[in-house]
Amino acid sequence: MEDFQEQEYEFLRRLDEDTLDRRKLLKRGLAAGAGLTILSTPAAALAARQKVLAAPPLIGRKVTLAEIVKEAKKEGKLNVIALPHDWSNYGEVISTFKKKYGLSMDEQNDQGSSAQENQALRDLKGDSRQPDVVDVSPPFAIDGANEGLYARYYTTNYRTVPRSQKDTRGLWLGDYYGAISIGSNGNIVKNAPKTFADLLKPEYKNQVALNGSPLTSGSARAGVFAAALAHGGSLNNVQPGIDFFKKLKSVGNFIPVGGSPQTVASGQTPIVIDWDYLNLVYTGEFPAAKWTATIPADGVYGAYYCQAISATAPHPWAARLWQEFLYSDQGQLLFLKGFAHPTRFPDLVKRKVIPAALLKALPSPALYSKLKFATAKQNADSKALILAQWPNI
Amino acid sequence: MATDVAAVGELRPGTRPGRRRLPLAWLVVVPFFAYTLLFLFLPAGEVLVGAFKGAHGGATLSNLSDVIHNPNLRDDYKTSIEVSLVTAGLGALFGVLIAYAAIREGTPRWIRSALTTFSGVAANFGGIPLAFAFISTLGVLGIVTVFLQNQLHYSLYQHGFTIYGKTGVEVVYLYFQIPLMILVIAPAIDGLRREWREATSNLGASSFQYWRYVGLPVLLPSIISTLILLFGNSFAAYATAYGLTTGQSVHLVPITIGFDISGNVVSNPHEAQALAFGMFVVLAVMMLIYIPVQRRASRWAK
Amino acid sequence: MRRFSLSAWIWIVLAAVYFLIPLLATLLFSIKDKQTGNCCSLSAYGFILHDPVFWSRIRLSFELALETIVITLLLLVPTIYWVHLRLPRLRAVISFLALVPFVVPPIILVGGLLNFYRGSPQWFYAKPFGFLAAAYVILAFPYVFFSLDAGFRAIDVHTLTEASLNLGASWRTTLARVILPNIKVAALSGAFLTLAIVMGEYTIAALSAFKTFPVYIENVNETQAYPAAALTLLSFGITWAAMGSILLVGRRGGATRVQLGGGGR
Repeated sequence: MEDFQEQEYEFLRRLDEDTLDRRKLLKRGLAAGAGLTILSTPAAALAARQKVLAAPPLIGRKVTLAEIVKEAKKEGKLNVIALPHDWSNYGEVISTFKKKYGLSMDEQNDQGSSAQENQALRDLKGDSRQPDVVDVSPPFAIDGANEGLYARYYTTNYRTVPRSQKDTRGLWLGDYYGAISIGSNGNIVKNAPKTFADLLKPEYKNQVALNGSPLTSGSARAGVFAAALAHGGSLNNVQPGIDFFKKLKSVGNFIPVGGSPQTVASGQTPIVIDWDYLNLVYTGEFPAAKWTATIPADGVYGAYYCQAISATAPHPWAARLWQEFLYSDQGQLLFLKGFAHPTRFPDLVKRKVIPAALLKALPSPALYSKLKFATAKQNADSKALILAQWPNI
Repeated sequence: MATDVAAVGELRPGTRPGRRRLPLAWLVVVPFFAYTLLFLFLPAGEVLVGAFKGAHGGATLSNLSDVIHNPNLRDDYKTSIEVSLVTAGLGALFGVLIAYAAIREGTPRWIRSALTTFSGVAANFGGIPLAFAFISTLGVLGIVTVFLQNQLHYSLYQHGFTIYGKTGVEVVYLYFQIPLMILVIAPAIDGLRREWREATSNLGASSFQYWRYVGLPVLLPSIISTLILLFGNSFAAYATAYGLTTGQSVHLVPITIGFDISGNVVSNPHEAQALAFGMFVVLAVMMLIYIPVQRRASRWAK
Repeated sequence: MRRFSLSAWIWIVLAAVYFLIPLLATLLFSIKDKQTGNCCSLSAYGFILHDPVFWSRIRLSFELALETIVITLLLLVPTIYWVHLRLPRLRAVISFLALVPFVVPPIILVGGLLNFYRGSPQWFYAKPFGFLAAAYVILAFPYVFFSLDAGFRAIDVHTLTEASLNLGASWRTTLARVILPNIKVAALSGAFLTLAIVMGEYTIAALSAFKTFPVYIENVNETQAYPAAALTLLSFGITWAAMGSILLVGRRGGATRVQLGGGGR
């Protein structure tokens, strides 16, 4: 399906690159044969071209970047939601985008959850403040796609996004991923825990926190998943992870407060189980806390987030330009700078475009190669189990 | 102004002659009702109705019975009601004592001004900032915890205290409950006249007798009415307990509703609506208890 | 009457200890140096104070608070006055209605409001001074109602009204010169609470995509460590100062007529 579409838009794009010269068109009209006879007259071709630009395209390659930029500039603005500036380097991603294309950005509800992002699409439908794009976790991307909240769009680099991280209808695609890590404060925690098994040691009494409740926070739930993998569970069976936290709580090591920059810097959460891209940022951000982060070798678990464009985006071209930017090498490397692995990471590695210094700052690629992502069904099953059992841990 | 005590009750409702008495009387309260209708009941009405709707439409009681039969959710209500009763009771007690201390004769006037304005801020202080302030104070490494440990060799946490538990949440909630009480009860305390206290002490009554026979009866209707407000204030509070425990060690109804509606993981709007309806019922029951108690207290005051 | 009461001072000191230590703990954290973790650096305060967003948001929220206070008092003062004077049976109904905002979680209220008013004019729907203010008036109801109710209970509405009318004053004069000065303390309490609500409400503002001061606070809290603590204290101080100024304005208005807040009226 996608390959066919790729062939189709590749063909159309090549057509579009040439000037609309009557002779050439006639020639192509002949060459293209019956399937494309509609383009064989200049008037029809012009009309088709105007039609392409009248509404934002389905396929990024069908128009040039310059055309997208031009239309986006006419809109002048992009509404985004729930993009915290310290999360996967979004601060720099946003400022670079604004500077590069001269668009203003309306950033809403920086701390919103995936559910709130989809809800904002519903609540603000038809309003000029409706978010143009969202960045949600896969279960919500699937829900949003089924509900018709998103527009279809194949970004120019769609092809190099790994197959497991994209919707074949073009409704959403993964943007970056991370692995669960254990961060700890060197001033308070003398022996930094390296594995989930370590966390149960009595020396970590009242010290271990998640980034919120697994009932509401995707990263906390990922922590439960990782703990499950560390204790004989699997993506199909998250039960050992729940049991692990039960035990962690009963030995008095677990504290329920959510890890945040403030609790990390102040030492109130000496150990935090969280995404690598958050714990690694803390390392540089708070030298006084002597923060270190490790990927627990016994529980390598990762998850990705998804980009989607609102079906009723008030700034549809700017939304597409945003996606083009995020999936360009530049955008992807900006994510990596924030320690989040961009979805096109394998492609970037293959083409050797990642600066050596950046690669060195990341944990061992060997661990990341072990990463597996939960499927929609595995996510749903784990949700149900956590929902039923977590209130009683 | 000295005559107003003697004239109590002369202007009974409905006894005042006037031509368009009834319609006019109701006209004044129309804007309030219209406003609540337009901006509260119509928009939020869906919620209460939604509690009786099935996942595929149609009327059903299953959402409510699911809530009633789920022991976790029952416990949520128990915890919420308990925390609200404790913090309303203690908040009212300390609020009255502190407000009276600040308002009474002999306390410098600036203390009263500072206290009431401070109370205005603190009564709505909440969320992560308040939670963090208390974690820094009474958390494992909080300044009071560390002080007690180092100076008095008393370890709060080894004695079972934790700021992340129910007691911790109650201690934190008092930070906005007491100020709310102070603010709302201050006008009533102003109503206690100095002459009454002077009269009782001239007659040889003790301070206890003054409070038992004069002060408390006068204040009681206002205190009871404010108790309801404090109960509701705590019952609906969400962000502070969430900032403190992320809903993992103390399970309150509003937090569960929050999970149901905005969770990245769960999403169960009908349960949320049923839970909200349950909160509505709890407050309605509180009102039903409150009205007769209030009436009796008002009679006692006269 | 004793001029000095030991028990009063004990309560005041205890209250000061309980209320000030958490603020002190926040202060101690906010002045730590980011690099060394030691005392003292004011850079967290500099970060906030030099952020233009801070000033624009606080201004928006403050204006929003004033609007909410005015609307709430205009709606509630006449209603509660009238209920005390003429319709005492309605008191229970109204106090119940005023409590309902407590059981409608803000997250549900905002969803309902957005749905219900979708398609309404942009000057209302898309503007904080329309949509948000309307919602905040609802949130303020319980607090303002109970403040005013306690205030009206403390004065004798019937006698004051009757005396004023018998002396030939009009309804307007009665309200403005007799009733209002007497409930000023209660109205001020309600105004303080409303101001604090608006300066602190996050959920509704965030979900209806308005960028108010609390949305800024939340954002700083989630992303910045030391500036978050500094911001907590700054916003506490600024809200406190704002209340002080409301108190001054309120006092200047009516202090000559009826002595405010004193024990012996």
